[in-house]
Amino acid sequence: MNIQDNYLKNKKNIFFSENKDIQTHREKLINIFENDRFDKKNNESLKNINLKNFIDFNYKYLIPEETSVINNNHENSYSIVSVNGQCSSFKDDKIEITKILDEDYNDFSKNDTIENNDHFVNLNSLFLNSGFKIVIKKNNNIKIRISNIITDDDLTIFQKNNYICEDGSSLNLIEEYENKNNSTSNILNVIKLEKNSQINHFLIQDNSPNHNLIITTHSSCKKDSTYIQKVYNFSEGYVRNFHYSELIEANSEADLQGIFFLKDNNTSNNKTFVKHLAEDCKSNQVYKGILKDRSKATYFSNTHVDQVAQKTEGYQLSKGILLSDNASYFSKPELKIYADDVKCSHGSTIGPIDENAIFYLRSRGMSKIAATKILISSFINEELNSIDNEQMSEIIQKKLVRYLSKVK
Amino acid sequence: MFLEIKDLSVKIENKNILKSLNLNINKGEVHAIMGPNGSGKSTLANVLAGKEDYEILNGRINFKDNNLFDLNIEERAQEGMFLAFQYPVEIPGVNITPFLHSAINSKRKRMSEEEIDNLSFAKLLKSKASDLGINIDMLKRSVNTGFSGGEKKRYEILQMSILNPDLAILDETDSGLDIDALKIVTDGVNKLKTKDNSFLIITHYQKLLDYIKPDYVHVMVNGSIVKSGGYEIAAEIEKDGFQKFQ
Amino acid sequence: MNSETLNTLNSYSKNKYKYGFVTEIDDEKPKKGLNEDTIKFISLKKNEPEWMLDWRLKAYSKWKKMKEPKWANLSFPEIDYQDIYYYSAPKGFEKKPKDLSEVDPKLIETYNKLGIPLEEQKVLAGVAVDVVFDSVSVATTYKGELEKLGIIFCSIGEAIQKHPDLIKKYLGSVIPPGDHSFSALNSAVFTDGSFVYIPESVKCPMELSTYFRINAENTGQFERTLIIADKGSYVSYLEGCTAPKRDDNQLHAANVELIALEDAEIKYSTVQNWYPGDEDGKGGIYNFVTKRGLCAGKNSKISWTQVETGSAITWKYPSCILKGDNSIGEFYSVAITNNFQQADTGTKMTHIGKNTKSKIISKGISLGKSQNTYRGEVSFLRKADKARNYTQCDSLLVGNQCGAHTVPYIDSKNNSAVIEHEASTSKINEDQLYYCRQRGLSHEEAVSLIVNGFCKQVLQELPMEFAVEAQKLVSISLEGSVG
Ligand SMILES: Nc1ncnc2c1ncn2[C@@H]1O[C@H](COP(=O)(O)OP(=O)(O)O)[C@@H](O)[C@H]1O
Ligand SMILES: [Mg+2]
Repeated sequence: MNIQDNYLKNKKNIFFSENKDIQTHREKLINIFENDRFDKKNNESLKNINLKNFIDFNYKYLIPEETSVINNNHENSYSIVSVNGQCSSFKDDKIEITKILDEDYNDFSKNDTIENNDHFVNLNSLFLNSGFKIVIKKNNNIKIRISNIITDDDLTIFQKNNYICEDGSSLNLIEEYENKNNSTSNILNVIKLEKNSQINHFLIQDNSPNHNLIITTHSSCKKDSTYIQKVYNFSEGYVRNFHYSELIEANSEADLQGIFFLKDNNTSNNKTFVKHLAEDCKSNQVYKGILKDRSKATYFSNTHVDQVAQKTEGYQLSKGILLSDNASYFSKPELKIYADDVKCSHGSTIGPIDENAIFYLRSRGMSKIAATKILISSFINEELNSIDNEQMSEIIQKKLVRYLSKVK
Repeated sequence: MFLEIKDLSVKIENKNILKSLNLNINKGEVHAIMGPNGSGKSTLANVLAGKEDYEILNGRINFKDNNLFDLNIEERAQEGMFLAFQYPVEIPGVNITPFLHSAINSKRKRMSEEEIDNLSFAKLLKSKASDLGINIDMLKRSVNTGFSGGEKKRYEILQMSILNPDLAILDETDSGLDIDALKIVTDGVNKLKTKDNSFLIITHYQKLLDYIKPDYVHVMVNGSIVKSGGYEIAAEIEKDGFQKFQ
Repeated sequence: MNSETLNTLNSYSKNKYKYGFVTEIDDEKPKKGLNEDTIKFISLKKNEPEWMLDWRLKAYSKWKKMKEPKWANLSFPEIDYQDIYYYSAPKGFEKKPKDLSEVDPKLIETYNKLGIPLEEQKVLAGVAVDVVFDSVSVATTYKGELEKLGIIFCSIGEAIQKHPDLIKKYLGSVIPPGDHSFSALNSAVFTDGSFVYIPESVKCPMELSTYFRINAENTGQFERTLIIADKGSYVSYLEGCTAPKRDDNQLHAANVELIALEDAEIKYSTVQNWYPGDEDGKGGIYNFVTKRGLCAGKNSKISWTQVETGSAITWKYPSCILKGDNSIGEFYSVAITNNFQQADTGTKMTHIGKNTKSKIISKGISLGKSQNTYRGEVSFLRKADKARNYTQCDSLLVGNQCGAHTVPYIDSKNNSAVIEHEASTSKINEDQLYYCRQRGLSHEEAVSLIVNGFCKQVLQELPMEFAVEAQKLVSISLEGSVG
């Protein structure tokens, strides 16, 4: 069904349909879709995507029967099970969880960090049917772990989460996406870091082959705040990780990292974009991918330095290992710089596993497969070692072993 | 007076580094400054050379009848001030020979002397280089690029001997040199020394002063000169460290 | 930034363009505008055979259906293709003059002023020059000597007459007329340019060079160059360009095709110094150039070197299609933009054959209010086993009102191929400036020296005769007035 019909038919199930302004905005979005028709040629962010799944879909959403659970298991530590994108409300003196409201609706179609043509963000705005808002109150130090559960096949979840870290607070956020059904999640996280706050955001993605995950983050950092994001993508289904950061006040920092492991016919599209809008900020964008079989990946990275953003330090790195003749990797590490007192750089390497290294290990008596596995592990060593959470480190290791067991 | 530093106080990034520092140097004299790490020795050298990051809070400096603060970096250099850097910067792609050639000619221009042509310059450079035991091949390389620590220091001395300064400031030129290299460097200095030029030698160790006999030794602690005297001070420091001056 | 640096920068933006004079000479033009009649006029003037006219008209009909590519980081007003003269020749050039006695002395004087003497006794030693003034080739030096070796070096117009087989076989074989709108436009209206054929196993003993000059007002220049290096041959080719200062923007849309057969090598160098416009961004050349080389044979090599200092707008991506196994593509570029100049330049390396290698070294320097973009694409196709690419692009920002952008596209479809890419952007290093000035160099000299050092990797790729010129050009592009 086409987008417009889909929308009109399901309007009553979609958030904020009664709000006049939002309605007008959504009509505009429909127009954008009509005019652009997901023109792949002029929109490289649509590269390698099987668009049919996303334009011609059957809208289906179920309000969860079992409500989500929030547990305050340890002091300062919460675990949340979000069901079909919903989470019940909760409040204590450190955090507050609520539904998202009309006022949390953002018009990202005009945001120039998220490009005009990020159709997936526009789709999210159009069909919004779930989501929640979490506020971390001033000067608190919080851990949250969220399991994202989807209950049925063929659901189309359009979820929006808002996170606000108030002054001086810090949040350690672990999100797990492990779904085994044929649903599609389109999630938009809007994250605000107030002065002197910090977020460590981990996303563990491990869905089954027919589950599509589209996840977009828009974070904005005020003075002295730091946003660190680490994505671990082991999914066998399609994943689109697009993460945007804006450093809007001085001395803030964004660190966007990811590793992905692809196999079979799977595809993954990745993008990181850091916009430096203030002085003395730092950014880091590092993605590494391992591709086997017929898998395909794209990675776009972009450091944009505004004229006022003097003393910027920006770094990008993109690395890919192709384990098969039929895998392909497309990377576009971009620098757009309008200030002069900057240090920005990017590096990129794509290639096979170093044959000399394999030879060396084999001459020490190791089998070729064992050598390959060791070299793959060492390729992402830094990423693995930097996980300071023991439990998480274990989870990731297990998934890595599972992936490596299929390497021949 | 050749160089006169009076009541000099200097600040960088809200930190006072030099505090009411006084120092006088006459023509033909060799002065040594010794002091612990972070006492402000390199700061003094950079302020003399005109580096722009510093804020002069107070004081004045006269050099050859000029108010030094009226001259910018290159004018000071052209007037005969030379700084052998503690950490010479690499300038990739800029070949040593034309670099030094432009340097010497800009000095000659200011002094209304005739410029030196390509050929004579190449000759001069070669002979000075071989005096300092510098391989001719090194002259084909880019300024300081890929040089070892010792090579960089030797190359600073080569530049000094080509530019023939009136006041040479050597900022820890001895550190990182082995004994042979130290000998070559000090020979370079001793050859250059006349009754008309002066040296300000910044060092950590007494060793260097065994080869270049200073007329005066100053001890710098925490941004001021706390003691001045003759060569005997160096020996004192070698024995007991800077402890007792602090 | 301290005030001294600012002063130096300000003086840089007052940069004078010393090639900005106009030659007063009668010229002959068709009516303004682009239509079939214009194309027929050009073809007739050039006395072309029927098949050539057909080829042009086909390209024209493609062009009519096309839009300008819009992906570059450039902004400029719509080009009015109907407000341009598509042909301009100094009077009396119905036929190319046989020797210089037939050439208007004003023209010879023009080239003397540009530093390109045409008189026999003064010709540049070791360099054969083909000189193109607006739409026609006016002189080719050293022709006889080259002929002895079987080398063909002439204007493309002459080649169409005399070597139709080569033209039919190769023209448009690397850049198909329908590739994009500028290539279609060029194919329809190209006027002159150079043709080079190096026979099997011949190493061309001298640099071949073309010098392009736009003189007439409101005139587009659409030159077409075709270079074919037959098996085992070698040629080094250099192109230079200037234009007078005019307040209107002028269009230049050249196409250059290179073909290297087995074991052949082509080295193509450009020093582009078209009029860049004045300090307020008025006037200047719009330079939309398509350059593409095909390494058709095994072990062939194509190397592009460019020093781009001119033009109001530069849109240019000299590329290599590495089809032959073991073939090599190289791209060395210096692009300097000042005032309101905009440059979007880079390369495309397409690895098709096994063991193909490419290397990209790009140095961008932005000053004033200019925008300087490196845009490059490296792709490894499925069969490109063991292919390799190394890319290094560095940008230098001088002043805080300009922009430096790096947009590389990296696409690998082969798992034995290796791509390595490095890029950096920074301002001029203050410690280096301090060091140079401590040795007595002025601020301006120091900047010029450091920038030249920054460009060295590229400049050293230029033929000796031009490396020194290019170095000066780099300094001039940075400096204040130059006498
Ligand atoms: N650019 C600078 N910014 C801030 N502090 C500086 C800077 N340069 C030097 N300092 C500080 O000034 C003090 C003196 O440094 P320096 O002159 O290098 O000492 P020395 O050469 O005697 O070891 C040190 O505490 C050093 O940290
Ligand atoms: Mg020091």
